[in-house]
Amino acid sequence: MAMGQHENGRTRTLVGTRRATAAAALSVGAVLAGCTSSGVGQAGATQNPVVPVKEGGSLVIGAEQEPDCADWISVCSGSIWGDYLMRTTTIPKVFDTRRSGDAWVPVASPLMADEPTTTTSGPQRITYRISPDAVWSDGEPITSADLKYTALQIRDGKDVLDKTGYDKISKIETPDAKTAVVTLRETYGGWRTLFSSIYGVLPEHLLKGKNRNAIMKDGYSFSGGPWKIQSWKKGTSVTLIPNARYWGPKPKLDKVTFQFTTDTAAAFQAFKSGQLDALFPTPQLDVVEQLNQTAGGTRRQIDAETGNLEAIWMNNEKFPFDSVDVRRAVAYAIDRTAIVKKLYGSLGVGKPAQSFLTPVLSSYAGTDFSHYTRDLKAVDKAMRGDGWAKGSDGIWAKGGRRAEFTIVSLAGNKRRELTEQILQTQLEQAGFRMTIKNTTPANLFGKQAPAGTFQMGLWTLIDTFPDPTQSNSFSSTSIPTEANGRSGLNFVRARIDGLDPLLATVDRETDPRKRVKASRQADKIIADQVPAIPISTVPNILLWNDRVGGPLSNNPSEGPWWNLAKWGVAK
Amino acid sequence: MGSGKVTEALRAAPAPEGRHSEGRGAQGRGRVGRSRQMLRYAVRRLAYSVPVVLVASFVFFWAVRSTFDPLTKLRQARDPGVLARESARLGLERPVLEQYGLWMKAFVTGDWGVSTRTGDRAQAMIGSALGTTLQLVGWAVLFAVVVALAIGTYSAARQYSAGDHLLTGLSYLGVAMPAFWLGLLLIQVFAIWPREQFGLEQPPLYFVGLHSPGMSGVNADYFRHLVLPVMTLTVGLIASWSRFSRASMLEALNSDYVKTARAKGVPPRRIFLRHALRNSLAPFVTVVAADTALLIGGLVVTEQIFAISGMGRLFLDSLLAGDVYVLLPWMLIVALAMVLFNLAADLGYALLDPRVTLR
Repeated sequence: MAMGQHENGRTRTLVGTRRATAAAALSVGAVLAGCTSSGVGQAGATQNPVVPVKEGGSLVIGAEQEPDCADWISVCSGSIWGDYLMRTTTIPKVFDTRRSGDAWVPVASPLMADEPTTTTSGPQRITYRISPDAVWSDGEPITSADLKYTALQIRDGKDVLDKTGYDKISKIETPDAKTAVVTLRETYGGWRTLFSSIYGVLPEHLLKGKNRNAIMKDGYSFSGGPWKIQSWKKGTSVTLIPNARYWGPKPKLDKVTFQFTTDTAAAFQAFKSGQLDALFPTPQLDVVEQLNQTAGGTRRQIDAETGNLEAIWMNNEKFPFDSVDVRRAVAYAIDRTAIVKKLYGSLGVGKPAQSFLTPVLSSYAGTDFSHYTRDLKAVDKAMRGDGWAKGSDGIWAKGGRRAEFTIVSLAGNKRRELTEQILQTQLEQAGFRMTIKNTTPANLFGKQAPAGTFQMGLWTLIDTFPDPTQSNSFSSTSIPTEANGRSGLNFVRARIDGLDPLLATVDRETDPRKRVKASRQADKIIADQVPAIPISTVPNILLWNDRVGGPLSNNPSEGPWWNLAKWGVAK
Repeated sequence: MGSGKVTEALRAAPAPEGRHSEGRGAQGRGRVGRSRQMLRYAVRRLAYSVPVVLVASFVFFWAVRSTFDPLTKLRQARDPGVLARESARLGLERPVLEQYGLWMKAFVTGDWGVSTRTGDRAQAMIGSALGTTLQLVGWAVLFAVVVALAIGTYSAARQYSAGDHLLTGLSYLGVAMPAFWLGLLLIQVFAIWPREQFGLEQPPLYFVGLHSPGMSGVNADYFRHLVLPVMTLTVGLIASWSRFSRASMLEALNSDYVKTARAKGVPPRRIFLRHALRNSLAPFVTVVAADTALLIGGLVVTEQIFAISGMGRLFLDSLLAGDVYVLLPWMLIVALAMVLFNLAADLGYALLDPRVTLR
C-alpha cells in the first residue's frame, strides 16, 4: 500500500500522500536480492559513520511541515510528515521496510514473534503471531484483538484514508491472544501492506467503543513503539519522550522535539544558529544554496535512492496528448538528463528516472524509458507520421490546430518553476509551444487533476512502501469519474491496451517472480505508450550538527527518524 | 470602512478655544453629552457595518466555495458513499445562497465548522491563531507608536536639520525593505553573527516560534523569541508612521492657533506638547488603527519566517489546502477587525479633537 501517490509538492500533503493504492504482495526484493527477509540487515539506508552517544539529553529537530492530524486511519492524516514524526515512532506495525542488498524489502518488525505467513492456494489466509514481549505503554499486552480492531475500523469505517487490501478481508479469527488469522475474499499480492504501510496496529482496549478520531487526532497518550507523544502544540512543535515499556532497545535521548519551521531559509538559519540540531529539507533550489553556505560542524546525507519521483503528466484525453505520437514526440523533445543535472547536479544527482517505479521498488522496475533521449529527428518523424506539419513560426500544426498546450504545477515551487522554464525552452525548439499556468495544491489536486481539466502537469509520485501499485496511476479502472466521486488517481486518463491485466496481475499475484515479470512487462508498455514521462527521483537530504550522534541515515519508506531510538547526544 | 470614509463622517466644530471658557459644570455636562454622542455614533456605525459585513461575507463565501472543493480531502478515501454523505451533510447540492444562509446561521450561533484539513474546530484554530497574532501586533504597535511619534516629533521640531534628513532617509529605507528580507537580515545580524563571533552555545535572540521547547508564559525566553519578529514588523511601521507623524506635527506647528499661542507668549514647550502634539495625534491615530487592522490578517511572511502559528500562517496553510471551513470564518474575523479598528480610529479621533462631532 501507500504507493503510487501523487503529492502536492513541497508540503507533500493532499492527494494520497500516505495513501496506498492498489497493492500487491512483496517479498520480491528479498527474492531478487537473493536472500530471505530474515537475512536482511538492519541498515535503513546508506550508512554514515556511527557516532557514539551518551544516555540522556534532548534534541530539537526542524520539521518543514506540520501533520494535519494523528488519527492514522482518518483521511485527515494524509501528510507524510505525520508518519515521520509520530506514527513511525509510536505505532507498532507488522512489517518494517529495510534494505537488503540493493533492494528495499519488508521485514517482520519487533512486534512479531516470527514472519507472518500466507497460504498460496484456496482462500488467502494470513497468520500473524505477535511477540509475547509486545506491550502497550500502559502495560497491556498487544494482542490479536488489536489487529482485529484495527482491521475492522479500516474495513468498515466511514472516514478512512484508504481501504485497499482491508476491503478484501472476509474474516478475522483470534484463536489466542497472540495469534490472528486474516482470511481474504480474493488473493491480494500486497498482503504485506496490511497493518504496515500506512496504518500499523491500534490498541483495542483503549479505543473500542470510543470515538477513535477524538482520542487520536491531536496526538495520543498510548504507544507501542519506542517513543510516546508527550505533547503536540499545534503550529509549534511535537515532543516525544521514551516509552518506558517498549520491549525493544530503549531510546538514548530523554526527549526529542520536532519544531515546525516551514520557511526553508529560516529553518537553515535556525540550524546554523544551533536552535535546531537536524533538518530534513525538501530539495528546493534555495536548499542547494543553503547547503553550500552551511559551515563546518554540519554533517549531511544526500540520497537519490528515494520513493519520490518527479514526472510530467499528460492528459491522454486532451488535445494534443490524445495522440500517442505527440506524447512520444514530447518525450523525444525533452533532454531529461539536462533537467536533472540543472536541478540536482550540485547534489551529485544527474541521472533521469527510467520508470515510474521509484528506487524503493527497483526490483519491479524496467528501464524502458531510457531510449527517450533528446532526438529532434525522432520528434519530426513522430509528428509527421501523425499528420502534423510545422508552420512558419516553427510550431507544429494539424487540422488548423497548433501544438500549443499549458502546463500546470504548484505556484511558488521554485524547483518546478525552473523545470517548467527548461521544458518550455526545449519544447519550443522542438516545435511545441507550452505556457505555464501554476496554481495551488488544493486547486490542482482537488479540482483540475480529478476533473481532467489540465493538459500537462508536473508533480511528484510518492512510494512509501516497497510494494508496486502502478495500477493507481495507469489502470483505466483508476480514472476519476463521477461514479467514483472523482477519486481515482489515474489523472492522465490512460487507457492502454493490454496494460490493465498486467497491472491487475501485479496487484493480485502472490508469487513474487510472477509479479516482477508482470510489472516489468507493464513498464515496457507504459514506456511505449508514454502516458507520462518520468524525470527523476527527488533526493532526500538529511542534515545534522555535531551535537547529534548515532547511526544516522534515511529510510526512503519510513523517513529519516526510522531509528530515532538510536540517536543521541554525541559523546 | 476605510479610513478615508471614516473622515467623511467627521465634522469640524468651532475653534477649540471656545471650550476653555466653559465652566467646570458645563465641561462635565459637555463630557457626558459627548460620551452619549460617541456611544450613539458607535452603535450606529456598528449597525451600518452589519450589511457591509454581510455583503462582504457573501462575496467571501461565493469566492471560496467556487474556488475550493470542501470534499477535496475526503476524495482521498475513494469512497463515493462517504462523499455523498458528507455532501448531503454540508448541503453542497443546494443553491449557493442557501448554503451561505446555513453557514452564516451556524457562524453566528458559534458553530464555525470543522477544518477539512485537521478535523479541528475552526473556532479553536482561529482563536489560537488570533491570540498569537495579537501578541505580535500588540507589541509591535506599542513599540512602533512610541518610536514613530518620537521620530516624527523630533523631525518636525528640527525640520531640515541633519537629524531630520538622516531619519527621513532611514524611513525611506525602512519602507522599502521587504519583510522576508528584513527578517532574515535581522536573524543574521542579531542571532547568527553574535553566536559565531563570540562562540556562544545559543544565539542571544531566538527566532523559531515564541517559546523554546518546554517553555511557556511571559518570561525571558518569550522576550528572546519576540524581539526579532517584532523588530521585523516595527521597522516598516515606524518608517511610515514617523513620516505621517512628522507631517501632522508640521501642520499643527504651522496652524493659526499655535501662532496665536506663540504671540501670546505661551512657553514653546507647552505649545509643543499641549497644542501641537495633541492635535497632531488625531490623524496619526486614524492611520495607526487602520494599519493595525491590516496587520491582524497580514503577517503571512513574518509568521512564516519566524515559525509563529498566527493568523497569517493559518491563512496560508488553509489556502493551500483549500480548507473552506477555516478560510470563511478567517476572512469574516479579519473583516470584523477592520470594522472595529476603523470605528476605534473614529472614536479616537473624536476623543483627541473636541472640534470633531460624530454624526
